Amino acid sequence: MLLEVHDLHVEFGTRDGVAHAVNGVSYRVDAGETLAVLGESGSGKSVTAQAVMGILDTPPGRITGGRVLFQGRDLLRLKEEERRRVRGAEMAMIFQDSLSALNPVLTVGDQLGEMFTVHRGMSRRDARLRAVELMDRVRIPAAAQRVGDYPHQFSGGMRQRIMIAMALALEPALVIADEPTTALDVTVQAQVMDLLAELQREYRMGLVLITHDLGVVADVADRIAVMYAGRIVETAPVHDLYKAPAHPYTRGLLDSIPRLDLKGRELYAIQGMPPSLTRVPPGCAFHPRCPLARDVCRTDVPPLQAVQGPGAEEGERASACHFWRECLHG
Amino acid sequence: MAEPILEVSGLVKHYPLTRGVLFKKQVGSVRAVDGVDFVLAAGETLGIVGESGCGKSTVARMLCHLERPTAGAIRFKGQDITQLSGKALKAVRRNIQMVFQDPYTSLNPRMTVGDIVQEPFEIHPEAAPKSDRRRRVQELLEVVGLNPEHVNRYPHQFSGGQRQRIGIARGLALRPEVIVADEPVSALDVSVQAQVVNLMERLQDEFGLSYVFIAHDLSIVRHISDRVAVMYLGRIVETGSDAGIYDHPTHPYTQALLSAVPVPDPAAREHRERIILTGDVPSPADIPSGCRFRTRCWKAQERCTREVPLLAVPERFRDAAGPVAHDSACHFAEERRVLPPDEPPGPHGLVTA
Repeated sequence: MLLEVHDLHVEFGTRDGVAHAVNGVSYRVDAGETLAVLGESGSGKSVTAQAVMGILDTPPGRITGGRVLFQGRDLLRLKEEERRRVRGAEMAMIFQDSLSALNPVLTVGDQLGEMFTVHRGMSRRDARLRAVELMDRVRIPAAAQRVGDYPHQFSGGMRQRIMIAMALALEPALVIADEPTTALDVTVQAQVMDLLAELQREYRMGLVLITHDLGVVADVADRIAVMYAGRIVETAPVHDLYKAPAHPYTRGLLDSIPRLDLKGRELYAIQGMPPSLTRVPPGCAFHPRCPLARDVCRTDVPPLQAVQGPGAEEGERASACHFWRECLHG
Repeated sequence: MAEPILEVSGLVKHYPLTRGVLFKKQVGSVRAVDGVDFVLAAGETLGIVGESGCGKSTVARMLCHLERPTAGAIRFKGQDITQLSGKALKAVRRNIQMVFQDPYTSLNPRMTVGDIVQEPFEIHPEAAPKSDRRRRVQELLEVVGLNPEHVNRYPHQFSGGQRQRIGIARGLALRPEVIVADEPVSALDVSVQAQVVNLMERLQDEFGLSYVFIAHDLSIVRHISDRVAVMYLGRIVETGSDAGIYDHPTHPYTQALLSAVPVPDPAAREHRERIILTGDVPSPADIPSGCRFRTRCWKAQERCTREVPLLAVPERFRDAAGPVAHDSACHFAEERRVLPPDEPPGPHGLVTA
């Protein structure tokens, strides 16, 4: 197993009290596999990723429990110096907003080359050559001429390619992509997503794809973990989840997608709104919005339990709903 | 078609590019909107889709008179509003209101919700007598599904979806006939988007509103629109009924756009045809000659560099019946179905409590 996150807890100290951003998240990713982490803003999907990468701002953030096993080592127990060697070389991250993730006063060649000078001790001249190779690899036209350009001289799609090049520079075993195409236009989004999927296959990387877009997930993911209010509420192979969701939140999200045969009718809408992380409802955090909620949901936190149904082999499916059977079988 | 309420013809917005500080001279122009025509019928919804920089928001701003067109006419019930000023303009502006994209920046954080929704009455005092305004505001909040007792709260005390409802209440205050909504749901969480779309549809029925609905989410546009216009680099390249555009697209850009949209169905992954466009959208300061899409088009030929294709029903479809006969600005328009045929419902069938 490449990456195993175990019962991770993260809190933030805020003016309104402690925000429980991540409340016991566990997931695993294998080499060559794409795990999609789906959730809305405030679901804890990005905070989990930041804790895994070791780039969480502490304070205000605080990891209060859990383990992050990367190739068997617990990253949370490493010293910062060792952590830094892992980060970039063995695991890398692609961010949503390339304009703020890249350094505006360094050329892209310098930033790409830095990966090789810092981690591999290459000379600047060799690093420059590698930078051009990488830019070629992510299909930036006229790479040799553009290696001395600054980030703002590239379009959004091209900048995102540079981010991908930088993440893949040292051929890491794991890449975490946090909404990598959300800021891009649809036609460019398709180009970038295709490139990422192709490179992932080639290098057999594990990919954690963080997104809120059910369409992107359906296009590229092998497995999916759905997050709500800092917890994973459902996890399943992607085909099974779309066919038969086993959590009312997942079901609500799928049902609210506009579809042709429902044109002119009201869309299904999940009632209410996502909870504040400083005041997560007791019991199941989704109960105030859930059409299946009963008394037990208001008091008992449902554990993530194995689901028998399509795709249930090898414990691949789990749902954190007291009434997952009802949800699964409609 | 019902009576047109809004007729846009030859709409152009160019922003000058200048050089020099003391001796400014114009060295070019950004052609943000470069000749747009459309008609909005009373009670209908026109969806405008396109990627960033295609000019859709500039069109929206011109419709609401937030931006003055360089050329062209915008007729509201036959009257060209671009030629109006003073009292006459003010009277027309009441009837065309806007709902903005970002409910976090389009509401003044220092004003209470009551004051925000009431502000339109201060600009148009004739719309409601002073004594009646408080009641009207509470009524409006109720109409958009907010608690009328919250009039004294501030925007930051509301969630994104609720703020967008406040923006909609403000847009409705003067009982306009046309609402221009520029990406009204794209800043919202997925689970909240459907609520706001439902609200807008309900209000349309209730108040007989006409909508210009601008968005980049193609499935939401299809759900809400009667007709759809696709924009590319300052122009409409294809327009027709929702079935015409989505099921029978004839312009290559529309086909590429539709095929690039991720479909929320993993089963469609294998047998889906995707058209991946090369390169980026050209700069609107340097628009290609002839057809503006030709630099990214796989069908482009010599003719496309010379002749600007007109937005009209292509000759080969002129005698065709049904949704395929719609306007498409391409010399080599042909039908190509790119979306997988919609699966029969299989709605998961949760009943709302």
